[in-house]
Amino acid sequence: MWRVGVDSGGTFTDICLVDQETGEVRVWKVSSTPDDPSRAIAGGVVEGLDKAAGATGRDVSYFGHGTTVATNALIQHRGVRTGLVTTSGFRDLLEIGRQRRPHLYDLQCDKPHLLVTRDMRIEVSERIRNDGSVEKSLDAAEVRAAIRTLKEAGARSIAVCFLYSYVDPRHEALVRAIAAEEYPDAFLTCSHEVAPEFREFERLSTTVVNAYLGPVMHRYIGHLGPRLDEAGVNAPRHITASNGGVMSFEMARNQPVRTVLSGPATGVVGGLKTGVLAGFPNLITFDMGGTSTDVALIEEGKAKLAGEMDVHGYPLKTPMLDIHTVGAGGGSIAYIDAGGLLKVGPRSAGAHPGPVCYGLGNEEPTVTDANVTLQTLNPTHLLGGRMKIDQGKAKAAIARLAGRLGLDPMATAQGILSVVTANMAKAIRVISVQRGHDPRDYTLVAFGGAGPLHASRLARELDMKRILVPRNPGILCALGLLLTDLQTNYAQTSIMAVEASTIARMRATFAELRRRADEWFQREGIAPEGRTVNATVDMRYAGQNYELPVAFPADADDETLLATLRGGFERAHRLMYGYIAEEEPMQAVTFRLEAIGAVPKAEIKARPPATGKVEDAIVGTRDVWLAEAAGFVSCPIYDRERLGPGHCFAGPAIVEQMDATTVLLPGQSASVDPYLNIIVEG
Amino acid sequence: MNASPAMLKSTGGAPVDPITVEVIGNALSSIVEEMGETLVRAAYSTNIKERRDSSTCLFDARGRTLCQAMHIPMHLGSLIGVVEHISKRHDLSDLREGDVFVGNDAYTGGGTHLPDIVLAEPIFFQGELVGWATNLAHHADFVDRGHDHIFQEGLRIPPVRLYRAGKLQQDVMDLILLNMQVPRERLNDFRAQMAANRQGIQRFQSLCTRYGKDLLLAACDALLDYAERLTRAGIATIPSGVYSFEDTFDGDEIDGSVVFKCRIEVKGDEMHLDFDAPPQVRAGINLVWTGLLATVYYAVKTLIGADVPPNEGMFRPIHVTATKGSILNCVEPAAVNARLDPCQRVVDLIHGALAPAIPDRITAAHNGACISSTFSGVNPKTGDYYVYLETIGGGFGARAAKDGLDGVHAHLTNTSNLPVEALEGEYPLVVERYELVDDSGGAGKHRGGTGLRRQIRAEGHTCRTFIHGSRRLSSPWGLFGGGGGGRCHFTYSQDADPPQKGYTFLKHGQSVTIVTPGAGGYGEPAQRDRALLERDIADGKVSLTEARRLYGYTG
Repeated sequence: MWRVGVDSGGTFTDICLVDQETGEVRVWKVSSTPDDPSRAIAGGVVEGLDKAAGATGRDVSYFGHGTTVATNALIQHRGVRTGLVTTSGFRDLLEIGRQRRPHLYDLQCDKPHLLVTRDMRIEVSERIRNDGSVEKSLDAAEVRAAIRTLKEAGARSIAVCFLYSYVDPRHEALVRAIAAEEYPDAFLTCSHEVAPEFREFERLSTTVVNAYLGPVMHRYIGHLGPRLDEAGVNAPRHITASNGGVMSFEMARNQPVRTVLSGPATGVVGGLKTGVLAGFPNLITFDMGGTSTDVALIEEGKAKLAGEMDVHGYPLKTPMLDIHTVGAGGGSIAYIDAGGLLKVGPRSAGAHPGPVCYGLGNEEPTVTDANVTLQTLNPTHLLGGRMKIDQGKAKAAIARLAGRLGLDPMATAQGILSVVTANMAKAIRVISVQRGHDPRDYTLVAFGGAGPLHASRLARELDMKRILVPRNPGILCALGLLLTDLQTNYAQTSIMAVEASTIARMRATFAELRRRADEWFQREGIAPEGRTVNATVDMRYAGQNYELPVAFPADADDETLLATLRGGFERAHRLMYGYIAEEEPMQAVTFRLEAIGAVPKAEIKARPPATGKVEDAIVGTRDVWLAEAAGFVSCPIYDRERLGPGHCFAGPAIVEQMDATTVLLPGQSASVDPYLNIIVEG
Repeated sequence: MNASPAMLKSTGGAPVDPITVEVIGNALSSIVEEMGETLVRAAYSTNIKERRDSSTCLFDARGRTLCQAMHIPMHLGSLIGVVEHISKRHDLSDLREGDVFVGNDAYTGGGTHLPDIVLAEPIFFQGELVGWATNLAHHADFVDRGHDHIFQEGLRIPPVRLYRAGKLQQDVMDLILLNMQVPRERLNDFRAQMAANRQGIQRFQSLCTRYGKDLLLAACDALLDYAERLTRAGIATIPSGVYSFEDTFDGDEIDGSVVFKCRIEVKGDEMHLDFDAPPQVRAGINLVWTGLLATVYYAVKTLIGADVPPNEGMFRPIHVTATKGSILNCVEPAAVNARLDPCQRVVDLIHGALAPAIPDRITAAHNGACISSTFSGVNPKTGDYYVYLETIGGGFGARAAKDGLDGVHAHLTNTSNLPVEALEGEYPLVVERYELVDDSGGAGKHRGGTGLRRQIRAEGHTCRTFIHGSRRLSSPWGLFGGGGGGRCHFTYSQDADPPQKGYTFLKHGQSVTIVTPGAGGYGEPAQRDRALLERDIADGKVSLTEARRLYGYTG
C-alpha cells in the first residue's frame, strides 16, 4: 500500500508516494491547474501511482494534502459575499481595527481590502458583560430580521461576533439556531467557535475571514472529493492546517481559516520530522523558494505556535505555526536605492521572465544571477540539465550594477548574496532571538529550491554550527504530509489568579477542553492508545496583557502543580524579559489543549553504509568565486545521487542534484547520514 | 536620482562598503523593534501594553540618533535631546556601565510633556562608551491637575540616575512613585522599560563583537550619511521656491482661535522652515523646540521618502526656526501637556504650504488633532485609583489618486485603541459605541476619511474626565476643490456638569460621546466616480441629503 502526500503550489503540484512496507519514497511532479487545482491533484496522483509506483488509487492507504486555496482566495479577494451580525454600536469595528494606520510614514498606503462592506454589517441590541451577566438580552425577532436582510442582500456567508462571546456564547448560539431556520443554505461562523479569546477586533477578524473563505473551501473540497473517488482513492483524506497538523476534509470545510498557512506549515513539518529522525530535535527550518522564504523554530521536536498573526493584513487568532516570511528568494531583484545602498527584493522576477540568465527578457540581476556569476550555481544549466541558462547575460547585468556601485563585479555578486543573507538572518532573529532563543543552539534545516544554496552563509551569519540538507529539498513539503499526525487545538480564555484556591477551576477548565478533544478523537476514529494531549496555560503577572505559555502538569498533586506553574512562569519571564517581579501576583489567562491523534505514518528507513568511495561521487570540478578566498577556488562537484550513508567530504565543495544545489564553504565539512541527509558542520 | 559613491565614506571614520552598511542598518532596526516588543509585552498599563504608546531608540556615543523604532513619530521629540541634556547635567567621564538615567522634563530633560518618561542607559563595549539605548513610555498618570504652567502638570524630572552602576537608587524611585497616582503600574512599567534597554544593550554589544567596534561605528556614521543623501535627493524633487501657509488653531483650554503661520524655502537639496505663532499661553497647548523638530522631520519624511532611515543624517538638510516664546517654540514655564494638537496642525501647515509644489504627494488635511480623553477615579470593585487614557483617531486626508482612510490615527501619533474586552475588566467604565461618523469625510473627487465616535459611560462611581482636542472651530481643509472634513465635538449626558477647560465629572450612568474630526476631500466633488459615491451612499458614510447637496447627486 502507498501513502500519498500532495503539495499543490502555484506552479507545480508535487506528489510524494511512500511505500508503507519498505518506506521507499517516490516522487512525481505535474503542472498545477490553478483554475481548479483538484484536476492536477487527482490527475497527478493517478499518473504518479501508475508511472512511479505501478499502482492505482485502490493501493492508497492514506491521502494528505497541503493547499493554498484559502490563502489565495484571501490574497486575491475571491471569497464570497459575506454579512456580519454584531453587537449594537460596533459594526464599524471591522474597518477601524486597532485604529493604527497601515504605514507610519507612507501617505499612499491602504488598509487591507475590506471583506464585509458596511451595508452588510447589521447591529442587533444585545450586551453580555465581562463577568458573564446579561445586560441586554438578544431579541429573536431582531435576529430573524437581520438574517432575512442579509439573505435578501445576497450574502452567501454570515459571520456572527458579539462582545464577550468567549465568556458566554449563548447569544451567538441563538443566532446560529435562528439562521438554521431562516437561511439554512448560508455558511455561518460564530466567533466563539473559531477564536474564543479576548480582544474583540482580532476575534472578529478571524470570524470574518472564516466566513469569507467558507464557501470557497466548501466548493474546493466538493470538487476534490469526487475526483478522488473517481481515481479510486478511498483512503482517509486529510488537509494540513496552519498549526502543522492535519485535519479531516470535514473540519477544513467548516474552519477554512485554519488552513491559511497550510502550504508553509507542511514544509515546517517536513523539516521537523526529517530533523528529528536524524537526531536533531532543536531546529530552525529555512524554506527558500523563488520569491519568498519561510522560517520557523522547532524546540525539542515541537514547532512553536503563534497565538496570533497578521496574515495578508488580517489578524488571525487561530493555532498557527510561528512562521515568519520574508520577500526574498532566488528571483529577488537587486538594485541601488536613491541613497546609494544595494538592496535586494521584495520585487521578484518570478518564474517568468525569471532571472536574467533565463534569457526571457528580464534585464535586472537577481539572486540567482549572482549565484550563476559566482558559479555557486551551475553556469550552463539548471534542473539537472533540463534547463539551459546564459551565464553571459547574468554577468553583464551584474557588471552594470557593479559599475553604478563602483565595485568589482564579483564583489557585487557576492554583495547581493550578503544582503539577501542579512534579510534572512533578520527573519530568523524574529523567530529566535526575539522570542528568547539563541540560534546557535539550533540546527538549520535547509530546503526549498534555494535553501541549500544559501544555508552555509546564513548559518555563518548567525553563528549556527550545523546544517541539515534533506535528501529531497524540493519536495519536502509533500513528504511532510506523510510524516504528520492529526492535530487540533482547543483554547478557553478564563482569567484567574494562580493560587491554591483556583486549582480546582483550572482543572475543571482543562476537563472541559479534554471532553471536546475526546469527542474529536472519536470523530476522527483515533484509538485510545493513539491519543495524546498537551496542556499549557498562558500566564502573566496580573497587570500585563501578554502571556507566556507554561506547561500544565494535570496529573500532579495541587501543591506540585502550583509550584510547577509558578516556577515555569518565572523561568519563561526571565528568559524573555531578563527579570522577575517577586511580589507581583500571577494570573492564568488562556487554557490550551493540543490534541494529537496518531495515524500510521510513513517510516523513512535508515540505509546501510555506502559501499562505494566518496570520491566516486565527484563528477567534476568548477571554479567557484568565494568571498572567503576573495577569488575563484576550484571546487569538487558531488552528485547527490551517488552519495551514500557514511560518506564524508570537506568544503569548499558543491553538491548538485536535480532540484537543488548545496554549497560547502572552506572550513565546513559534510557527512551523509543513514537517511541520506547531508549534515554540514563548522 | 542615485548617488554613486564607490565607498560610503563616513564623516570621520574609515570607508565602509555599502553592503556592510546595509547589513548593519538592518541589524539596528531589528534591535529597536525588539526593544519595543519587550516593552509592550512586559508592561502593565493599558496605555503601553494595548495602546503601544511608547518608542525605542538607539543613539551613538555623541547622542546622534542612530535608529528609532516605527512606533510614534512624536516621541522622537522626547528622545533627540536626552543625551545632550544628560551630558549638560552630568560629567560623562564618571559614567559607569549599568547607570540608568530617568527624565521627563520639557525644559531640562529633553522631553516634550511630562507623562512621556525616558529611560536612557549607556552602552559600553570593552570599557568604552559606544552608544545609548533609550526608550520612552507614556505613563498615563499626572491626572486631574492644572495646565496653567508646567509646575501644575506633574513631577518634573531632570535626567537623574535611577540606577548607579546597576544598583537601583531606591530614594529616586520612591520620590518619583510618591508623586504618581497609580504607583504599582508605574513601577512595573519602569521594569518593562529597563528590560527593553537591557535587551538593546546586549544586542548592540554583540554587534560590536561580531563586526569589531571600529567597523560598526564607522558603519553607523555611514548610515547617517546615507540618510542625509536620501533626504537631499528627496528634497531636490520638490521645486525650489518659497511657499507659505496659515491655519487657525483652537483648543478646549483656550477661548476662540489663534493663527499659526509657516514659510518654507526649498533651495536645491535643502529646506528651511520658519514658524510663527502667538505668544505662549496659560494652557497645555504649547510646544517645545524638540517637539517642533520631531514634527517637522515627520512631515518632511512623509513627502520625500517613507523609507529614509529615521536617524540624525535625515535631519541635516532640514533647517527650522520659530519665534521663541511663541506657542510653537515655548519657553519655561509654559504648560505642554496637550502639545500633540498644535503638532498635528504644524503638519497641516507644512503639507498645505507644499501642496501647490507637489500636488500628487500631498494629502488634504488629516483630522488635525489628537483627541485625548482621560478617565480617572476610584474603582469601586477594587478600591484602587485608576487612570484610563485613550487618544482617539479620526480622518486621514484624501489623496491625489484615492480616498483617505476612515477612522485611523493620523500623523504624529499611531497608538492602538484599547479593546472593549480589555477595558471593561480593568476600569469601571462601559463602551457604549465605537463607530465611524457619517458625513464627516470631506467631499471631493476623492473623499476624506471619516472621524470616529466613541461613547463611554461611568459605572458605580464618579469619574473625573479630561477630554480635549482641536478642530472644533475649523474644519480639516480640502484641496483643489475638495470640501472640509467634519469637526470634533463632545456631548455629555444632559445632567452632567458642563466641562471647564476640558474637565468635568461623570456620575454613575452618565456618559460622554466623543466625535473626532474627519479629513478633507481632494478635487471637485462633482468629479467623483458615481460608483464610488453610490458605494458611500449604500454604506451610509455619505447620506443621500449630503450626496445631493455636496456632490450634486441626482439618483
